[in-house]
Amino acid sequence: MITGRAAADGSPTQFKVFDTDVHHGPWRTESLFPYLSEVHADRLEHYGFGGGGVSWAYNGGSQGYRTDIITDRGKKNYPGVVVPDPEVCRKELLDEAGVDIALLVGGGGEGIATAGPDVAYTNALLRAFNDYSVAEWLTVDDRFRLAIAVNPQDPQNAADEIDRLGGHDQVISIILPCGSQRPYGHPFYKPLHEACVRNNLAITLHFGAEGSGVNPQPSAAGYPTSYVQSRLLRPAFYKPHLASFVFDGVFEEFPTLKVGMIETGIAWAPSFLWLMDQNWKALRPQVPWVKRPPSEYVRENVKFCSQPLDDPEPKDGMAKTLEWLDGEHTVMFSSDYPHFDWDEPQETFKTMPDEFRRRLLWDNAAELYGVA
Amino acid sequence: MSGGHRVFRASEVPLGSSRIVDIDGRSIGVFHLPTGFYALLNRCPHRGAPLCLGDVTGLVTAERPQEFGLERKGEIVRCPWHGWEFDITTGRSVFNPHKVRTRTYPVTTEPASAEVPENAGATGINAEGVESFPTTVEDDWVVVHLGRTAPTRAAAGAASSAG
Repeated sequence: MITGRAAADGSPTQFKVFDTDVHHGPWRTESLFPYLSEVHADRLEHYGFGGGGVSWAYNGGSQGYRTDIITDRGKKNYPGVVVPDPEVCRKELLDEAGVDIALLVGGGGEGIATAGPDVAYTNALLRAFNDYSVAEWLTVDDRFRLAIAVNPQDPQNAADEIDRLGGHDQVISIILPCGSQRPYGHPFYKPLHEACVRNNLAITLHFGAEGSGVNPQPSAAGYPTSYVQSRLLRPAFYKPHLASFVFDGVFEEFPTLKVGMIETGIAWAPSFLWLMDQNWKALRPQVPWVKRPPSEYVRENVKFCSQPLDDPEPKDGMAKTLEWLDGEHTVMFSSDYPHFDWDEPQETFKTMPDEFRRRLLWDNAAELYGVA
Repeated sequence: MSGGHRVFRASEVPLGSSRIVDIDGRSIGVFHLPTGFYALLNRCPHRGAPLCLGDVTGLVTAERPQEFGLERKGEIVRCPWHGWEFDITTGRSVFNPHKVRTRTYPVTTEPASAEVPENAGATGINAEGVESFPTTVEDDWVVVHLGRTAPTRAAAGAASSAG
């Protein structure tokens, strides 16, 4: 009830009020537990609230984490799934798991930011994240290397950011999420391509931001209903970018540009190389600047990553996959630390011959990223 | 001309056209280009399609991404099934000239004294080979030579003038 102007007889006019928009809710998700069935309370605790892009709406493990090392998840409000403390990372990953060089690629919040419609704000957030990473991570241990976050919505700003930080010894790449408004070989990104070449930085591609913000739906069939289905979409997140780098002629124009595709798994890749070659033979006149079979460009300019390493049913499935993909030259190790489904290097490619394993654990990445 | 098969009157394959002929059970396409007559086995090394029924086009080229050029108009045939491109004058695959080749056959148009144009096939075969044959024109007949050895040489101009 509010009071209006006085009426003719001097008495105040009274108004009843109906407010149709008041936002309420609990401060913490646990407040909902008493009202959920037991199973859904458990899901909320471990699975997250949902919403946002397909890769981040839900997750595996406990909200995406390895619960053996990240124990204070409830306190965090930064998006993505990350290890927050460089000292913990150094101890767990470098000293104990035996990693000699670790490429830091951020935790997903920056990827989501690239899907934000406010381009200037995204540019500012990514610049801040890069400065934070240089100041608070690269200084902690010289085994850390950084892939700086840049905004694919603003290729000139991305180029400026690459020029700003590309000279730092420990900055060896940029990181882009697979979720995007157009595939990354598109001429729209030429300033970004040129800046990477100019600064000798690789492009690292990680899934993320599919279906977030300004980005399109995560699949042509729309949204999958569960996190497990989003994982099954991942090859489709990488394929259009890989095809675009090749068929839009990026490697023809910039032969030294390298692309590392991480958290890819590898079993899908050989058939995709075959498919690219087959279609190039059939439709070459549409892309006459592609002078060689696509698989040749991929073998020279692109590498895939082990994690999450496929579990082929046939006993010789992994060996065959590595053979078809020329894995000796195209596959890099990745741990995905500290995510729940990480792969420990000690346990990865154990059955492969030593020389082969050496290439996968070190040489291929060292070559792609130019680390001696 | 010994070993040769008279397949068409030169006037039956006007400049820029092609015809298919069966010789000893082999289907062969005869193409009439400004530089002469060329004969290819009418079978794509990829999946066995009737290659010589494909579109005849030029070679789409590019100096750099997003810039298109067109060269060698009329010298490329695209397989009707999966689009593989072959150089009519050599039988070579456009995308993999060293490994995939259709077999070409020397073709000449022979007035009594005319011989094989220098640019005619005789390129041999490879593992996936489709043959090409030498041709000559004899008395205004287009002659396809199935043997591996081309007849004696003559200027290409003699061949094309017959069309």
